[in-house]
Amino acid sequence: MKIVAVRLALLALVLAAWELLPRHGIVNPLLLPPLSDVLRALGDQLLRPQVHEAIAVTAAEVMLAFAIAVPLGAALGVLIAESEYLGQVFKPLLFYVFSIPKSIFLPMFILVFGISFAQKVAYASFTTTFVVLMSAATAVESVKQDYLLVARSYGATRTQVLLRVYVPSMMPLLLEALRISMIFNFTGVMIAEMYASRTGIGHLIAGWGENFQMTQLFAGVIVLAAVAILFNEAVRWMETRVSAWRA
Amino acid sequence: MAGVIHAIEVEGLSHVYGGAVSALENISFSVAAGRFTVIVGPSGCGKTSLLMMLAGLRAQSQGTILCQGRPIPGPDPQRVGVIFQEASLYPWLTAVENIEFPLSLRGTPKNERRKRAGAMLELVGLAGFGERYPHELSGGMKQRVSIARGLVQDPPVLLMDEPFAALDEQTRMTMGHELLRIWSTTSKTVVFITHSLTEAVYLADEVLVMSARPGRIIDRIAVPLPRPRSYDMMATDVFGRLRDRIWQQIRKTP
Repeated sequence: MKIVAVRLALLALVLAAWELLPRHGIVNPLLLPPLSDVLRALGDQLLRPQVHEAIAVTAAEVMLAFAIAVPLGAALGVLIAESEYLGQVFKPLLFYVFSIPKSIFLPMFILVFGISFAQKVAYASFTTTFVVLMSAATAVESVKQDYLLVARSYGATRTQVLLRVYVPSMMPLLLEALRISMIFNFTGVMIAEMYASRTGIGHLIAGWGENFQMTQLFAGVIVLAAVAILFNEAVRWMETRVSAWRA
Repeated sequence: MAGVIHAIEVEGLSHVYGGAVSALENISFSVAAGRFTVIVGPSGCGKTSLLMMLAGLRAQSQGTILCQGRPIPGPDPQRVGVIFQEASLYPWLTAVENIEFPLSLRGTPKNERRKRAGAMLELVGLAGFGERYPHELSGGMKQRVSIARGLVQDPPVLLMDEPFAALDEQTRMTMGHELLRIWSTTSKTVVFITHSLTEAVYLADEVLVMSARPGRIIDRIAVPLPRPRSYDMMATDVFGRLRDRIWQQIRKTP
């Protein structure tokens, strides 16, 4: 309880500083507009059809990329963790590729897909697939051999081993992977939109930044932060529910 | 021996890893129904491999294994129950759900499962702890749950792979005593693996001593101590001599 009070006090302090420091000219209000101005801009922006469209486009890109990357990455991850041969062939290669910053491939995606919806989705799912793949492989390897041996000694079929041992044993790690991959996924879409785009929140934010419209820029940041934190917390809540036994 | 029913018969069993490393060499023994046999040997002597083969979890290179008079080509939980080392309970299931697990794999109805798991909990002295998760139980209690899980399908043969190895000495002795109490009410054939000499003599009708790799049976020792066993038997000459004989055998092997 005390901790929560301290957290809230800290938040209030930051918000107050955001309002008062630029208001009194201690911080240049052109670079950091006061909070109340930003909130007013946020209200105005949320009424504009152009912003609605941008939000819809970004949301669609994020969700579609996620829907492609998660099953794809999970399937590939399980495959290289389960097959010793595939694991030995591909794991080092995947580690090499994983270490490369994915944004350097963005121009290639533009050449292939053009500046389009498909390009954003393709690029974001490309970056996210790697994260999911690595986490899924780790999750499979985290399942103790003893657990599998017990199930086999009691005559479990392959399907039963999968559903009754692998899935519950991996669930906490999988949810964590889901949460982290969404962070990468969101980042992927934002980078693609800010780099080259005609619509989407990332495009609007990049435009506001270039035109020095700082109140609008911060309003956009608030919207994005809210959405990202909300998703993260939702998955985290599921995580704690599914992994009560891990205490 | 005519007239004796053997629950387990092993004949000329050998095992070679990767075509080169000989792990088990010409192992033959039999266990009469209802008897408690302990296999003791240094680490790496292949005693766990032997147990896995008895359970149908691993194939041998050579030789035959008969369990209740029939070969055991794969896991057969109705015939053979296996009890593993401490960490083998599923942490995401409660104690009672862990005990029910073997039954639920076979699609036993829930009521029936609960009833039998409850009876097992009582048998191992954990009535009232069914809803606890493994991390809420002590090491000894976890092992009681593990024993209950091995017994729930009522197999005539029970194989135990160093089940108390992770426990402290006192808990280990108590659990051994408990196991004998449970065994005496269920008349199972037990093959129990350990590297503790005291545990071996205290529990067994017969002790089989294995050598270091390649694992061979180098001695068979009948334990003439009466049942039920009690802790003060450990102080007797007979107990000391038997333990010493096993130690001498194990020490001889490199």
